[in-house]
Amino acid sequence: MVDRQIDRAMRALEFVLAVAFCLAVVLNFVNVIARYVFNNAIHGADELQVQVLIAMAFLGAAIVQCRGQHLRMDVLANAMPHAIRTALRALEALLVIALAAFTVVQSARYTFQMYTLARTSDALGMPVWTSHLLVVIGFGLIALAALWRVLSGRPDVTGDRT
Amino acid sequence: MTFALGVVPVALLLLGFPIYIVVLASVSVALVFFMNIPLAALHQNLFGAIDIYALLAVPYFIYAGELMGRGSVAQRLVDFVEAGVGSVRGSLGVTTVGTSAIFGAISGASAATVATIGRVMLPAMRKAGYPEKFTAGLITSVGAIDIIIPPSIPMIVYGMAAEQSVPRLYAAGVFPGLLLAAMLAAYVIWFARRNGIGAGEAFDRKRFLRASGRGIWALGAPFIILGGIYGGVFAPTEAAGVACVYAAFVTRFVYRELSWREIVQAAANTAFFTGQVLIIVACAAVFAWLLTVNQVPATVVGWLQSLAIPNWALLLSINVVLLAIGCFLDPLSAILLLSPLLVPVIKAAGIDPIHFGIIFTVNLAIGLFHPPFGMNIFVAQSVLRLELPVIYRGILPFLVIYLVALMLITYIPEISLSGVRWLLRVG
Repeated sequence: MVDRQIDRAMRALEFVLAVAFCLAVVLNFVNVIARYVFNNAIHGADELQVQVLIAMAFLGAAIVQCRGQHLRMDVLANAMPHAIRTALRALEALLVIALAAFTVVQSARYTFQMYTLARTSDALGMPVWTSHLLVVIGFGLIALAALWRVLSGRPDVTGDRT
Repeated sequence: MTFALGVVPVALLLLGFPIYIVVLASVSVALVFFMNIPLAALHQNLFGAIDIYALLAVPYFIYAGELMGRGSVAQRLVDFVEAGVGSVRGSLGVTTVGTSAIFGAISGASAATVATIGRVMLPAMRKAGYPEKFTAGLITSVGAIDIIIPPSIPMIVYGMAAEQSVPRLYAAGVFPGLLLAAMLAAYVIWFARRNGIGAGEAFDRKRFLRASGRGIWALGAPFIILGGIYGGVFAPTEAAGVACVYAAFVTRFVYRELSWREIVQAAANTAFFTGQVLIIVACAAVFAWLLTVNQVPATVVGWLQSLAIPNWALLLSINVVLLAIGCFLDPLSAILLLSPLLVPVIKAAGIDPIHFGIIFTVNLAIGLFHPPFGMNIFVAQSVLRLELPVIYRGILPFLVIYLVALMLITYIPEISLSGVRWLLRVG
């Protein structure tokens, strides 16, 4: 039940990222026309595209974590007996939780600092803490995904890419 | 510190942990236990590594390839190349090489090329009587050209990691890519003649014109990407974005093969792949920064200089190490983890970092199909239903060709650097 809800939430997040990415592609194209044909680039177009890139990197990483499909060199691990493999995956889940939680704390502190300093971006004048927050959310979701794996007693389960 | 930056990553990598976790664990241990640096450095480097406009070229090129890889684009390209080289003995094999090279100039995703071109060429080559072992070896190995011929995603990542110009790297990759394609095609023709297979048909101008007409829109993508960059019309990131719009336009409105839903689905796949790759880029940036702060590259350079190794031996050693690593690690992770160490070494030895970028890429391209664990081997096995022992035996002659090309590219810098001069008109 919870697995299905998580899967649905990740699909929704993936769809939002996909639509944002398509809009970034269109923005890039319009900006190229504006820059090279009309000699008048769209102000802040590059910055908006980079925002989408940051979201895809950190939120996308959380989706990949939920599906257990991060890149790894598992040739040796796969040759080990099943019991050792399971133990390694459990250890991995605990390490992911610890490291992601550590990163969330450090990133949240920095993001809060940006918020209190009211720093804004160069081109669009947007508050910069919003894009830093994507790192916090991404690693937060990664920690939660790994935690759920441990709590559900299936740390070695890898998701299917469908 | 050696424990944090050396023992921890190697141990976790061998245990099969995700690469971003391997790197993140290493830098976290170093920051918390061995260094007196504010921990905010972790976030600053993670974020700073992604907050770069040039990096957008990675998802844009992936997306363009995703769109062009769907529908009938591969078949149209195959028909075009086959109509052009049909009179040559071994034309189907040459078509496989030529189509892969053109496909590489559109996407640069090696595994996708093996699957897409393989699906079209495998039945045709079987029907024409090519030995299964030869066909399996050719299809599995030829996709590696894609990360050498621009646009190449590993070259973008190398450009960032080594602080080198991506257009220069792209220009430097053109002749090595063409050299490899020519060597593979020459071997195919020699093999076909020796075994009396794949007799050519007389060149049919009408057929060629018809195939050109059917494939002209697909062929437009490399012209837009490479022509745009080398002609100085746009930057690589802009060219990649324009290629996406072009690919969506061609597949949606010209060929009428993709629905809007499929176009968004391709974007979702791109977002997923971007998440897989860029999290490693972010974590590896912190790792590279820590190496630099701790003067590890400078120490390695000093140590190598004290050994007074000649450049040819240094390059040979690096090639051996990269070939071995390429068998186990994907190209992007290998570039991100090794560039901070290797680039200062080769710079100190007076080797051009652009030339080295091509050597790096060719090594890792070989790793994509090098037995026993090259990724493309498993793509050919699962997607094309080829048997593993057949692939392994079939790959060997092609592996030799790639290694000969690697030696030529390594020891004749002009193969790479002449492209920079000719295409970008720089000295």
